[in-house]
This record gives sequence, C-alpha cells and structure tokens, in this order.
Amino acid sequence: MTLMTSFKLNLAVAAALLFTAAVSIPVRAASEQEGKLIAVLKSDAGQKAKADACRELARIGTKDSVPVLAGMLADEKMNHMARYGLETIPDPSVDAALRDALATLKGRQLVGVIGSLGVRRDAQAVAPLAKFLSDADQLVADAAARAIGSIGTSESAKVLQAALPGASAANQLSVCEGLFRTAERLSASGKRPEAVAIYTQLVNAKAAHQVRAGAARGLIIAGGPDGIAALRQYLRSSDYVLFAAANRAAMELPAPAVTEALVAELGGLPADNQIVVIKTLGRRGDVAAIPVLLATAAKGAKPVRLAAIRAVPEIGQPIAAPAMVELLADSDREIAQAAQESLAALPGKEVDAIVVAMLGNSEAVRRIAALDLVARRRMTASMPALLKATTDSDAKVRAAALRRVGELGGPQDMPALLDLLLKAKTGQDVDAAEQALVAICAKGGDAEAAAGAVAARMAQASPEQKGALLRVLSSVGGTAALASVRAAVSDPDAEVRASAIRALGEWKTADAAPDLLALAKSTTNPTERALCLRSYLGLASNPDMPAGQRLAMCRDAAPLAQKPGEKKLLLSALSKIQTAQSVTLIAPYLDDADTKEEASAAVVAIAERMTKGRNAPGLAPKMAEILTKVAASTGNADLAKRATALATAKPAAK
Amino acid sequence: MNMKQSTSVTSKPVSAPMDRRQFLKRTALASSALALPTLIPSSALGLNGAVPPSERIVMAGLGVGNRGTHDLNWMLPEADVQFVAICDSKKSSRESVKRIIDNKYGNTDCKMYPDMREFLAMRPDIDGLLIATGDRWHALAATLAMRAGKDVYSEKPSCMTIAEGQLVVDTAKRYGRVYQTGTQRLSEANFVFCIEAAKQGLLGKVHTTYAHIAPWDAAEMIHEWLPAEPEPPKEEVDWDAWLGPCPWRPYNKSYVSGGWRGHYDFHTSCIGEWGAHTFAQAMAGIDSLNTAAVEYGYVKNPTGDGMVTVFPNGVKMVLSRGDKYWHGSCGMRFDGPEGWVSAADGYRTPEASSPALLAEFNKIVKDYQARTLRPMSHVRDFFDCVKSRRQPVANAEVMHRSMEVVHAANICMWLQRDMKFDPVKEEFIGDAEANRLRTRAQRAPYIG
Repeated sequence: MTLMTSFKLNLAVAAALLFTAAVSIPVRAASEQEGKLIAVLKSDAGQKAKADACRELARIGTKDSVPVLAGMLADEKMNHMARYGLETIPDPSVDAALRDALATLKGRQLVGVIGSLGVRRDAQAVAPLAKFLSDADQLVADAAARAIGSIGTSESAKVLQAALPGASAANQLSVCEGLFRTAERLSASGKRPEAVAIYTQLVNAKAAHQVRAGAARGLIIAGGPDGIAALRQYLRSSDYVLFAAANRAAMELPAPAVTEALVAELGGLPADNQIVVIKTLGRRGDVAAIPVLLATAAKGAKPVRLAAIRAVPEIGQPIAAPAMVELLADSDREIAQAAQESLAALPGKEVDAIVVAMLGNSEAVRRIAALDLVARRRMTASMPALLKATTDSDAKVRAAALRRVGELGGPQDMPALLDLLLKAKTGQDVDAAEQALVAICAKGGDAEAAAGAVAARMAQASPEQKGALLRVLSSVGGTAALASVRAAVSDPDAEVRASAIRALGEWKTADAAPDLLALAKSTTNPTERALCLRSYLGLASNPDMPAGQRLAMCRDAAPLAQKPGEKKLLLSALSKIQTAQSVTLIAPYLDDADTKEEASAAVVAIAERMTKGRNAPGLAPKMAEILTKVAASTGNADLAKRATALATAKPAAK
Repeated sequence: MNMKQSTSVTSKPVSAPMDRRQFLKRTALASSALALPTLIPSSALGLNGAVPPSERIVMAGLGVGNRGTHDLNWMLPEADVQFVAICDSKKSSRESVKRIIDNKYGNTDCKMYPDMREFLAMRPDIDGLLIATGDRWHALAATLAMRAGKDVYSEKPSCMTIAEGQLVVDTAKRYGRVYQTGTQRLSEANFVFCIEAAKQGLLGKVHTTYAHIAPWDAAEMIHEWLPAEPEPPKEEVDWDAWLGPCPWRPYNKSYVSGGWRGHYDFHTSCIGEWGAHTFAQAMAGIDSLNTAAVEYGYVKNPTGDGMVTVFPNGVKMVLSRGDKYWHGSCGMRFDGPEGWVSAADGYRTPEASSPALLAEFNKIVKDYQARTLRPMSHVRDFFDCVKSRRQPVANAEVMHRSMEVVHAANICMWLQRDMKFDPVKEEFIGDAEANRLRTRAQRAPYIG
C-alpha cells in the first residue's frame, strides 16, 4: 500500500468514526473500533482526525491504546488530546506512562501531564511530583501542588506540609489548595487527626483570607468534639474572617451541640456580630434556638431585635407565636410590623387559634391586625369569626372584616353578606358589603345562581342598597342578572333607575345595549336619556367587541346624539373603528363647528392606522378627499400636516 | 454600635496580617473604591440602605457579552455594589463593558484586563465576579476566582461535565465562598409559587414534573471544525485564552461571535441550554436539589424530547421541548393527584388546575420570603449572601446537581440507551462507558 493510499484510507476511517454516533457497541466491535482509531493515530492523518480519534478513545480505549497515546504526549499539538484519551482509560499502564513522561516534558506539556496524574490519583506519583514543587516554572510548581493534593494520601500531606513554610508567595495558594484537597481526602478516609493537623497549619499560616476561612471551617467540621471548641473560639474572634467562617460552618452542621455553642456565645458578642449569629440560628432551623431568639427579640438594640424576629419564621415553630403577638404592641412600628410578618408566616393551627383570639381584643387596632393576619394566613376555616367581625362596633374593623370576607369567602358566604348589606346602616357599610360581594362573584362559579340570590333581595332593599345590588349584578353578568337590572330600569325610584342604567352601561357584554338604546329613544326624562346614551356609547367603545357590532351601534346612536358632548362621545367611539364606513359616519361632523376638531382627529387616527395595515396600498387615495378636507378645516397645525401627508401619500408598490 | 470590623483580609499571601486600616490604605492606593471581602449588611445594622463606600461590594465582570450585559445592567443599580473592572479575552467586549460601567458612574475608572490569571492576581480588592463567558469557561473561571478569594455569580450552564460541577462545589466549600448560578427563575414569584405549591402538598403528592428543553439545537453535538481563518492579533482576541480548557482548534470568527453553541467542546446541547434553568426549577419543587435522577429513558429522537427521568423519591421528571405544558420559555409544571401548576416566562400569573390554587399565590410567596428571607431578585440574593456569607438560593450544590442531570441526560442520548445513576457515588450503574464521559481532560495551562 502506498503512503497516499494509506493516508486516504485513514481519512476515510476517521471520517466514518467521526460520523458514527457514540452508540454502545459489543466488546468485539469495540475492540475493532479501537484498532481503527489506533491506526488513525499511527497514520499521518491530520490533527483533526487524530483529535477525533483521541476523543473516541477517551470513551472506549483500553491498555492497547496507551502506547500510541503516550507517544503523543511530547507532541506540542497533540499533547492535550493524548491526555484526553489517556485520562479515562482504566488501566495502570496509563499511570506508568504519565509518570515516565514527567522526566522528558517541559512547559505546558508537563503541566498537563501533572494534572492528569492528579485526576487519576496515582499514589505512586507523589514522590516524583514532589520534585516539581520548587520548579522555576510557576505553572509547573502550581500544578504539582494541586495534583499531589488530589492524590490525597498521608504521603501527600507530608510533602505539602513540609513545602508550605518555604513556598514562594506566587506558589503559596496552590500549596494551600493541595493541602485542602489532601485534608478532605484524609478526612473522608477516616484519618481525621491528619486532616486536623493540616487545617491547623493552614489556619495559622500567614495566608490569604480565603485560606484561613477554609481552614477554620475544616477544623470545625473535621474536628469532632474539638471542632465545637474551635467553633466557639472563632465565634469570639475579633478576626471577622474567622468569625464569618465559623458561622458558615455552623450552617453546614446539624448537630445540637452547634446550636448550644451559638446560643452560649451570642450574648457576649458585639451587636453587629450578634445579627450574623442570629441569622445562622435561623438558617439552621433548630427549635432549641427559639428561647434565645425570643429573649433577644424582646429587648436590646433594634437591628438585633429585628434580626431575631425575622429568624423566627425560618425555624417555623408555633411556640413562638405568643411572643410575636406581644410584640405587635411594641411602640416601635418597625418592630411591630416585623412581628406581624413573622406571625403571618408561622405555620400551625395553634397560630390560627391565637389569631382568632386576637379578634376579641379590646383594641380596634389589634382586631384590624388580626383581620390582616386572617387574610394573610388564608384562614378560610375561620370564616364564622370573620363574619362575626363584620358586625363589630368599630366602623374600620367592620370594613376590614368585609374586605377579608370578600378575599377568603365563596358562594356559600353570599347569603350572609347579603344579610349584612341589607342591615347596613351607613353608606360605608353598604359599600364594603358590595365590594365583598363583587370580590366573591369575581371568583367565578354559578353566575345564574349568584344573580338569583342577589335579585331575591331587591324587594327588601332601600334605594341605596338596591344601587349596590345592581352593581353586584352588573359584575355577575348573565341572563338572570340582566333581567333583574332590566326590571329595575322601571323602578318607581329615580335613584334606582339611574343605578340600573349605569349597571347596564357597565355590562361586560353587548347584551345590555338594546335595552339602553330603547330606553334612550323612549324615555321622556332628559337626564335618563343622556345617561342611557352615554352608557350605550361606552359599550360601543369596548374594544373587546367586534368592530362591525360597534359600528352598527354607533350608526343606531347617531340620530340620538344631539348635544355637543354626546356627539363627541359618538366620535370617540367611531375613532376606534378602523373602517371606511366609520369615516363615512364621521364625515358630517366635520361641518359642525362644535365637533370639527374631534371629527378631524378621528379621521386622521383611523387613516393612520388603516394605512399601516396589510390592505394599506390604495387606501389613502380613496380617503384623500376627506383627508384634504380635514387639512383645510382643522385649526390644529399638526393634525393638518398629518392629514396632508396621508392624502398625498403614493400607493405602495406591489 | 460599632459598625466596623477589625479584620485581616487579602486575597494574596502576605508577609504579615494587616488590620483594617492598613487594608483600606492599600486598596485605596490600588483603586478608588474601598472594600472588604467580607461584610455585614449595613441594612441589618440600621443604616437604612445608606451604604458607605467601605461597605460596598466591589465587583468585576469576566467575559461579559450579551447575556452578561443583561446581568450587569441588573446589578449596576444596586446601591451597595460597585463595578471596577472587566476582564475579557476579546478587546471589543472589554471596551463595550467599560463604557457601560463608566457611564453608570460618570468616570473612566473601570480597568480592563485581557488575562484572567493576571487579573485575579492583581486585584485583591475585588470581592465578587460576574462570570458570563461562554459555557466552556464557566466552571474553571468560577473555580479560579473562588480559589483567589472571590465570590461568584456565574451565568449558566455553569459546567461542561459532571467533574467540573464537583470541582465548583468543592472549591466553594473549601474556601467558604458564595456562589450563585444564574438560574434567576428560582427567585421569581411565579416560579417560586409553583415550586412551593408542589413542595407543600397543595397538589397532593407530586408524581410528575415537566421541564422545558430548548426548542432549537439537538442533543447530538457537532464535532466538526469550522474552516480555519487567520487569528486576529492577541490583543484583539486571545484565541488560546478563549479556548481555555477545551481542545485546540483553528480560529474562526464565528466561534467568538456566539457561534460556539452546538459544538460538543463548547456547549451542553438543547438539554443544557434550558435544562440548566428548568431542571433546577423542577428539582426544587420535588425536593430533590441535593440529589440527581436515578433513571434516564432513552428516546429515539434527536433532542431528548419526552425523555423520562426518575428521582430517588419516585417522582418523574419529563423533558419537554414544545409548548404542550406551557406557552413561554423555560417552562415547568408539577402534576399531582389533586391538581397541577405551571409557569413559564411571560406569565402574568402562574397557571393552575383550579382558581382555588391561585388564590394561595400571595400567601405562598410571602410565606416563602418570610421563612427563607430570600428576596424576589436573584442578583439581590447573591449580594445579600456576599454580606451574610449564607448560601444563595442557586448555590454551587444546586448548580451541580441540576447540571448533573443535564449531563446524564445528554450522555443517555449520546450513547442511545437507558441509564441508571447512583447519585451518592455520582456514577452510572454498570456502565463504564458512560462513566468515562463524566469528565474531559482540561488543556494546559487551563486546569482547575
């Protein structure tokens, strides 16, 4: 086979391998595939093909691949991919090959091989790697320290502990990193005294803050009983790095002894450090911390008290609730507010019972706080107590209670609320009951049943109460509600009739429109006629309704709109309908001095929107005549300019 | 009350411990901003949000591109945060970010660095880094930064392999660093509501959760190299540094302009692209953020759509690419015998099987905040934790475990077979080939 033939074959093999998904293959097939990959590496294939082969060997390579991969370690271009292939091959010959390479490589190639020995945790490599700890090349020395640490044997500890005092400033962090890795390995393998010795050396070293912090953490966690002593020592430390590290370690350790240590030290700390320890106690969630947190919450510096109050819900024990209730009366509003929030977040029926008991407090402000808590805690089971509060002697309490009934209540609570509304003696109480009913109806459910329940009370209601019930019906919507409101339009009381008309005007759908139009045409009462027309045009402005329906409504209303204000409402509704027909309806109003400007603005607004649409080409010329008229008649210079621009715009090319 | 801490703080080895005064003097010379790497929240001390310069969190950006700029603009308004530097191997990005930062502060103080190692060594005054490089650099940059004493907010997906994720976890613990991955929906009310509703049993015992995977790209990755182009001058784009720990390949402008996605060496597939977010969200709701799925069912399609994973508690997490369970990006859903809840980007409120569930929205979100003291702002949570030294909501362990499921799902797709995984040993059961894909050799000198 010629060299060129061999080259082409290898390229073909490499390409085939490249496009083969990394699918599980039988052992025999894997062996064949490995053979082909090795052949690529031995060939004069290019760097890409060889890199691909190395990547595949990282997945399936065996000891058979080691010689060829090891032979590439000295190749500047292939060193990394050779390691890529070697690092995952589960055969000791890889370690031997990597150790052998230490003697011949330099620079990046050497750094890489050292790193691979660390990844493979080759215990036999500690001694040869130790020689590089003082290498002149900082990258090499750093890599050696980290790799020895990853291997993590007692021998690693010995080598690195000896190296630390003499490590250069540039290399010290890497030696520390190696020592951390070693300590973690030793601790995990049961050699905790050796790990503690390392951490002790590091915490006392003149090293970077993160090293001392890590060492302090290590001493506390790996130290067993001595770790608790270390924890207490660092909590008392004036060195904030060690103090913070102690707190960090305390968050990792669930042992009760840690809580005891934190609690024991808390009182003796400066106030700002107390805040940190309190947060640590909260984060740990140990119920044993509750007494000290409550004591701290009760008195002392305000920031410390706030921290203690806010730590209470983190632990989440109902036992803390009575103390939080007491703090609601604190003279400092921020303290009281924090206590309220903590109380709101504490779980448990015991806490619910405490809140219900608060509803009987002699102070109205406490009762209102209790109502807030009922809502915040979503205590739906406490509805009877809530309904009782709606008859409170204090108007603010009654209003708050009704608001909460609306928030928490359901259809089953409507009869009680309707009773309240009908018994209400003040406008405020009527409004509050109405809002609660609207809130309940807004949650959905059987609209017809709700409308029936409301309508059944109309006969007993005063005119003011009827107004409220009509607004509730408007919010409910539906056939039954509309029938009730329609009937109220004929009520002998003018106030009720006006409320009914407004209710129709607030209707969510166009169903109420025919009633309003008919009434506007038939009534002899000018006030009611104006009200009907305004409400009708309000419905015609609802963008949720189809444009065609709104246009028809406007067309029907146009003959009735006689006063300037009514005409302007009509033009406003028409301006939101982007059709040529609406422009046609608007046109006559350009000749009316009272409506000229509104009509001009409506025409331009419609034209501008229409010319942006997909049917825009050709539209502007069709409207050119009326736009020219607008430009000539309006007193608004900007409007005239826009109208002229639209009128003279050329059709867009197709 | 004494607000100042007596301390000895520096990221570099020193000949003798310094007190606070010495430290401030030294950093004042190095930078116009004064900072302590470890701080007590001034708000907690009753300063009512007035943050003196000495208690600002001094930040720098690393590899801040489009997404990073979004993060930067999110962080810059925080009153107790000051950005002082940007490090990027790409000159145009360095200059762009410097302009944003300088415009914010009305000066020209933001320093630019092309080389991360030099940058970390030269700026001991910096407390934290916003890391928003391409995915290939996230884990290594975070590791080197934390080893240098910095706290880290890292964009996602935050690791390329399971081994990289483990390294980030180990390093954060080792040096007591604060680390937050950019799964910001864990700090958004709609998602928090769904997670808490699932955890608190409002749906009954949740049996299935659904997690959105990106509706573009595939699980299978590209191994091809783009055509070689002449490398730009090193000061314009340091190609070697851009590649970092990844295998060398010839330069092509497309890579450095966002075209790295989809390439095996640089990306974690459509599963990682959104799974980095949604797996964490789903796992939070089934109380599984400290473990990984134990079963992965191979699906015969190019994307992983429909893959069923099973967690140790028996709950299924189904990967879903379309909009069957939501209508927005990065969606998630929880199903139980008593109902379901779901959320995705763009929702005004979550969706639920009944209005009664949604009625609990405010209570659940407020209870969550009171119980955890977490703000509904992912970056604020990070900054609060920088000061309190507490773990953020999306800490290193959360990142690693959710990405572990991403990587395992990818490996399942690549090897085209069902898999079982031991989340304690963090290895596939009876599948040596899969286990070898948990790690990739890093290119020297970019080794963690």
